[in-house]
Amino acid sequence: MNDKQQDTIDFGYQQVAKADKQKLVANVFQSVAQKYDLMNDLMSFGIHRLWKRYTIDCSGVRSGMRVLDIAGGTGDLTEQFSRRVGPTGEVVLADINAAMLEVGRDKLRNRGIVGNVRYVQANAEELPFADDSFDIITIAFGLRNVTDKQKALESMFRVLKPGGRLLVLEFSKPQPPLLSQAYDFYSFNVLPKMGQLVAGDADSYQYLAESIRMHPDQDTLKGMMEQAGYAEVSYHNLTGGIVAMHRGYKF
Amino acid sequence: MLWAMLPTSLLESLLNQLLRLDPASQPRLQKLAGKRLRVTLDDIAQPLTVSVSEQGVWLSWLDQEPVDCAIRTRLAVLPELREAANITRLIKADLLDIDGDPMLAQALSKLFAELDIDWPEHLSQRLGDVPAQLIIQAWQRSQQWLQQQRRDQQQWLRDALIEEQQLLPSAAEFSLFRSDVQVLRAHVDRLERQLSGWKG
Repeated sequence: MNDKQQDTIDFGYQQVAKADKQKLVANVFQSVAQKYDLMNDLMSFGIHRLWKRYTIDCSGVRSGMRVLDIAGGTGDLTEQFSRRVGPTGEVVLADINAAMLEVGRDKLRNRGIVGNVRYVQANAEELPFADDSFDIITIAFGLRNVTDKQKALESMFRVLKPGGRLLVLEFSKPQPPLLSQAYDFYSFNVLPKMGQLVAGDADSYQYLAESIRMHPDQDTLKGMMEQAGYAEVSYHNLTGGIVAMHRGYKF
Repeated sequence: MLWAMLPTSLLESLLNQLLRLDPASQPRLQKLAGKRLRVTLDDIAQPLTVSVSEQGVWLSWLDQEPVDCAIRTRLAVLPELREAANITRLIKADLLDIDGDPMLAQALSKLFAELDIDWPEHLSQRLGDVPAQLIIQAWQRSQQWLQQQRRDQQQWLRDALIEEQQLLPSAAEFSLFRSDVQVLRAHVDRLERQLSGWKG
């Protein structure tokens, strides 16, 4: 009977069977893929570009490196990494969702990002790569949607080269109380309406707001990374903790 | 720090756009690809790291990885660095500290100093031949007008100082005066020699 408890997992505020979450998340992204970039800009007032830029700058990327961008979606980080690693390096854009991967591939090709980017449909919990194969792994706004986060962090640890680093950019807990209240109001009242208006899909954006609240806070995620084996784990709050960037090394 | 990302990435994309407009940049970038330079200005606490890849130059305030060349100086000293001759003097005066390959900074500044962008060509590709031609003609006309204005102003200043207020001599007067002085000096020299001849 105890198993029943373990077999369910959060999907936003709902509890769903573990086996179903992946499919439900897939439906959400299937539905928003085409309007994903536009919605990101609208919802975050464009600040998501700065958060991503911050992550790139903290990555220590250099030419010739191999980078894995998990849940890379429409390829924002991949584009930047591709330009920086040059023709001797490689960037792998991995996403579990074929629709998102397709949008990302089209976007990057149209921008002339070709040659050093590979597209792989993959589940973060069971990455289909050899051990010790990447210098940098990033997962930006993706870990939240993974069914078994601990397993995903361990899988990333396995494919990271010794000396490599993992960067997790994810929504987190806003620190100042006033900001936290404003943020709650915005997430539950404004966001779904915006989603309805622009992408014609309020439910997906309701899920987005709920899934952010269910995601582990800064220190919990730090603990999870340490448990997965990462060393020197640290995090940095961005925009008052609405987003946090966690960094950990494999030695 | 997050907000510093905005101007930095705007500057970065501007620089890379400029580089892309000149086809000669590609081989230059290729030569420098993988090189990294860090500039620390004492006026700004955070160091700026410039990395080069085949696709362009990348700026970062957060990069802490090793670099090929690290420069430490002050904002006010930067213009003096353009002259290679100044560098030794500045290092001795403790205004400049270079660690690593000093040629890298010059190679990087050359990357932009030697840019040769064919503006008419790029404009016509983007706007079409006729609008591009009109813009370039307008630009040239405004340049000519500016030069004409500058010449007129100079002429006016010259007239005011020389002809009206007579504060300065004209070029002809000055050269006459100079040749008079030369003649006078020659006279004096001759006189001096004669005098010393009598003394002896």
